[in-house]
Amino acid sequence: MKNLKNFFLNKFLFLILFLFITTPVFPELKNNEKLNHITSKLRCMTCQNQTIYESETEFSKQIKTEILEQLNNNKNEEEIIEFIIQRYGEYVLLKPKFDKKNLVLWLLPFFLLLASIGVFYLKLRKKKINK
Amino acid sequence: MMKKIIIILPLASTLLLFALMLFIILEERDSSKPPSALLNKQIPSFVTSDLLDSKNSFDQNITYKKNTVINFFASWCDPCKTEHSILMKIKKDFPNTFFIGINHKDKKNDALKFINELGNPYDKIGIDSGKIAMDFGVYGLPETFIINKNGIIVFSYVGPITKKIYNEKFKKFLSK
Repeated sequence: MKNLKNFFLNKFLFLILFLFITTPVFPELKNNEKLNHITSKLRCMTCQNQTIYESETEFSKQIKTEILEQLNNNKNEEEIIEFIIQRYGEYVLLKPKFDKKNLVLWLLPFFLLLASIGVFYLKLRKKKINK
Repeated sequence: MMKKIIIILPLASTLLLFALMLFIILEERDSSKPPSALLNKQIPSFVTSDLLDSKNSFDQNITYKKNTVINFFASWCDPCKTEHSILMKIKKDFPNTFFIGINHKDKKNDALKFINELGNPYDKIGIDSGKIAMDFGVYGLPETFIINKNGIIVFSYVGPITKKIYNEKFKKFLSK
């Protein structure tokens, strides 16, 4: 009986200790997830077609450290990405921003698709009428 | 008339597209070297300690009302060695230009040895652990910036400066 009691007491103490140790680690873990999310949107400037998330270069390591530090200082994703763009330019974004400057880039393919469907439709109709 | 236009239109638009593509190709744009995001912007603020006089430090205000060249270098960077003779030439050709070297992630003794062996073109050398390079958007060494009297970055170049690049690109900014 005493053994059993000791056993549970030990387990209980261990659980308390475990919670005590791991609690401060949890927000850090959450920030690590955010770090991975942000860095997978950013281009490694010194690599060939790699994200900062995937890359192990000196450049990427430094950016990761900086972003983690900013996350720990409660900066949000938008602020951090703006910080990086201010320094390295929009080239650092793997997916270009959807703004006025890039409107043609984003909308031209859809415009061309619609236009060609339109031309195709008109041609078909003309053929039908001729028949 | 309308029919004629319709017949010519595809040919004309194709030719136009080709001309545009040719123009883009001939523009000598290197996708691995995008233009600096800081171009035509104010020089970022920085504070650094002086490599040659560790008791002293300086900041961006040292460039106030001076035409300035800032060169990021390190002793471990081989392309920095190849461009060093050009840096010496810049200082000789434009002695009134204020020349700052930023020694990036280097060991002090290695940096001093580098300067002693190859010569010192710089008026001031600052030490950078990585923060200054990041604020200047530097991702590889060497990189060189030209800053005008108003503190605006007017030109930047990634990679070692060659004689050709010095003559074609640097001179016109430095002689202003």
